[in-house]
Amino acid sequence: MDINILQGIILLIIILGLSPLFSGLVNKQKAILTGRIGAPILQPYYELHRLFKKETINAFSSSFISRITPLINLVALIIAAAMLPVGFLKPLISFNGDIILFAYILGLSRFFQILAAMDIGSSFEGMGAAREATFALFAEPIFFFTIGSIAFVSGFTSLFDIYYSIELINISYEVFIIICSISVFMLAVTECSRMPVDDPNTHLELTMIHEVMILDNSGIDLFIYQYSSYIKLFLYAILEISFFYPFSQQNFLLGLLIFISGSAALAFALAIVETITSRTKMKSIPLYLLFATAIGILNLLIFTFTK
Amino acid sequence: MNSLIETDQSLLIIAFIIQLFAIPFVFYKNEKSSLLFSNIVLLIGLSIGLISTLSSTLFTSNQILVKSSFANFIRLDGLSLYFLFIIQLIAIPTTIYNIKYLEHYIEKKRRIKNFLVFYIVLMISTQVIVIANHAIFFLVMWEIMSLSSYLGMVFEREKEEVQRGSFYYFAVSHVLIFMLYIMFFIIHNHTSSWFFSDYHILFSDGNIATIIFILSLIGFGIKAGFMPFHFWLPQAHPIAPTVLSAFLSGVLIKLGIYGIFRTYLFIKPVPEWCGWLLLVISIVSAILGVWYALAQHDIKKLLAYHSVENIGIIGIGIGIGFIGSANNLPAVEVLGFGGALLHTLNHAIFKSLLFIGSGVVYQNIGTRNIELMGGIVHRAKYISLLFLIGSVAISGVPPLNGFISEFIIYSGFFKTANELKDYYPILMLMFVVGLAFVGGLAVACFTKVNSIMFLGTERREVKNFKTSFLDYISLGIFALLCIVIGFYPQPFVIVINNVISNSFINGVPSSALLDIDWLYFTFIFTFLAIGVFALYLIKVKIEKKYGRRKSNAWGCGFENLNPRMQYTASSFADELNTIPQSALVYHKNFEISETVFPLQSKFESHSKDFMDSNIVIPLFRFLTTSVGKLQILSQSDIRYYIAFILIIISIYSLIAFLWT
Repeated sequence: MDINILQGIILLIIILGLSPLFSGLVNKQKAILTGRIGAPILQPYYELHRLFKKETINAFSSSFISRITPLINLVALIIAAAMLPVGFLKPLISFNGDIILFAYILGLSRFFQILAAMDIGSSFEGMGAAREATFALFAEPIFFFTIGSIAFVSGFTSLFDIYYSIELINISYEVFIIICSISVFMLAVTECSRMPVDDPNTHLELTMIHEVMILDNSGIDLFIYQYSSYIKLFLYAILEISFFYPFSQQNFLLGLLIFISGSAALAFALAIVETITSRTKMKSIPLYLLFATAIGILNLLIFTFTK
Repeated sequence: MNSLIETDQSLLIIAFIIQLFAIPFVFYKNEKSSLLFSNIVLLIGLSIGLISTLSSTLFTSNQILVKSSFANFIRLDGLSLYFLFIIQLIAIPTTIYNIKYLEHYIEKKRRIKNFLVFYIVLMISTQVIVIANHAIFFLVMWEIMSLSSYLGMVFEREKEEVQRGSFYYFAVSHVLIFMLYIMFFIIHNHTSSWFFSDYHILFSDGNIATIIFILSLIGFGIKAGFMPFHFWLPQAHPIAPTVLSAFLSGVLIKLGIYGIFRTYLFIKPVPEWCGWLLLVISIVSAILGVWYALAQHDIKKLLAYHSVENIGIIGIGIGIGFIGSANNLPAVEVLGFGGALLHTLNHAIFKSLLFIGSGVVYQNIGTRNIELMGGIVHRAKYISLLFLIGSVAISGVPPLNGFISEFIIYSGFFKTANELKDYYPILMLMFVVGLAFVGGLAVACFTKVNSIMFLGTERREVKNFKTSFLDYISLGIFALLCIVIGFYPQPFVIVINNVISNSFINGVPSSALLDIDWLYFTFIFTFLAIGVFALYLIKVKIEKKYGRRKSNAWGCGFENLNPRMQYTASSFADELNTIPQSALVYHKNFEISETVFPLQSKFESHSKDFMDSNIVIPLFRFLTTSVGKLQILSQSDIRYYIAFILIIISIYSLIAFLWT
């Protein structure tokens, strides 16, 4: 087997294996920051183990959509994860234009998640689905305004090459990259249904997005949904961490170090954000997203004209 | 080699003759057998036609033999062959569905023979349009196409909405053909030839090329349904019989795209402003088209607006191609035109699939209003699966064909930015974001359609849901095509590359389209399919071990959930429609009773077409009243008229006299 493929597969397994750990890390730190002891870091694994052994219950009105959506969701996220660079190693899937595939394969998972939510025929899920569709619409441009703009500036269209091309050359470029990373962070918060946008912890209030969509799932379905959401969070975390790779000076070990410490730092940052902010009103979420978009546009304009 | 060409072309002629022979079969006495026979003959003709198209050099090499016959009246170049291929490919499954569809009307004791004749004439004239090489011949065929589709559209003429919608179509198609007349007469004046193959007009020759470009953009743009001229689509599509609306949306509006491509070949290379003009028009069409679609409840109207979106996407591709042409960048040209051509094929496939799918639903439910549907998946699993395939494809989501063509267009943006540097990257980024935004809206739109129509529980009770074998064949062919192009795009991309290197690019063809790693897509999508399937098997096993059962949906403690409490299409789309409220002319009306014990509350929301309700209708109302004021001149006495004629003649002669 080609060494590149082997390495790519190993990276993918690392991502898939560690993603619940990342969530556990965030939750633990958040608990400590809010003055609780909190669940152990490995809690997500226990949770998955518990769900795995539960009985599956489907609603009477559900159809084959509910049966296949968790799987499509998971496989789509695995494919997306296979495109991410980890510590300057070439990922499994890397070709010209994979940035578009990355965005659209996440679109596929979203498409089916919305359908699965509507499949139940309950208003709760419907509300979540409508919100997901609405906010996703505003989230999509952010991805292209940040990572897409770096692609346009660098001339590369593969996620790996795009991140590889980031160099610390001059101050305007550095500022550009930093602001891009802030936008990506805001995107990650939205997409992974974290704090200012969505609260992953409460099932109450009809104000949830992700949780309400999977309300009527249990057992193995919920297991897959939960696991997928862990992967998704880690996926966006890696998108964010990858901005720091230029510091590794293309050294593999240094890159790996940045990957690990970056993950920890990002988990800490997420925990801080979740501690000090409260969830925004549903009505103002588009504003939050448009703000992220606006700084993306402004950033790119500034960069283009100071070049 | 020579004999091959001969058989190739005579096969096409035979195909046309057989298709024409379908007409006499219509007049067979028994209605059912006349329907069956004429459609079968038409199918044979279409299949032979498709075989002859497939055996042409378009599919085998990038050196396409351009063939002319009938004193140069017919000419088969890459572009013609490609569109001929699309038409025949779509016409076959549509005709298969037609057999079952019209049988439904025979049962209702409707006379279908007229419609059948118009349908056959429409099929033939559409195919001839794309291979015509003579301007007058082209226009005559265009007129036959417009008229036969209009006459087919008034099938259920006793309904008021049918009269209204078909009048829109009739009027618009004549405004359109007027533009084409002017355009071709100007071209003829300039080149003194009626043959397309003689038309080479350069922008450097003065204003002629500019005028032709604008006229073609308006004329063919009306047909295609670009934004300011889209208003006829949502009027005409819903009222046409399903087969016709499928063909209308799948193929006929693509003739507008064909026309734009054809005119481009007359005037290429175009200056850059042409590309920008088209790009802006297209992105507006795409965004507003899908947004309007989101606000609709009438499934056919929704699909019609969605055609506006897809035409916009095709237009974006053409715009990129124009920019490539202006800057002499074959790579950009290949990607732009390639994306547009592939999306033309793709849209033809999935839009026909969706229209026919909605037709099957309409026949069983008896309404086009999606708010009254729901739960069809429990009645007809496979219809909803096929419809789902169409929806995934049209949303541009992998792994189906819509994604492939959008991917090519995205690559076109990146290529343009890379090749032209300067301020191009930021402009292209705007379009990338625009297209991503359209993608997001399309996802919202089609999840709405799918979930409200097929999922959940039945909002209106369905007695029995009848589907026939032919429905499945017809829909299955379309779905299969969606899957094949999505999973294995390579052969289609090669064909498109052949078309472009034959018709569009004079110099060295670029391999930009073939350089994309198409096999990656095949691998990834196959992995996706196999992965989902394998995981499904594992999941079923685990469920067997730990148990699975069905239960009520969670109602937050409320027990008597009924189907009307489900989320509706309006509420699903409400948040999104409220954003561009003024552009969508989206009205919400609350009537809440203020009494202590509220008795009745009312809520309604409407969306109107801005162009239609604020511009077209007022314009024509104004014209009617202002022209009405001229009625003082119309008198009952004929002597007044003679006096008017004399006055006019004397004015003319005075002018003529003074002129010299």
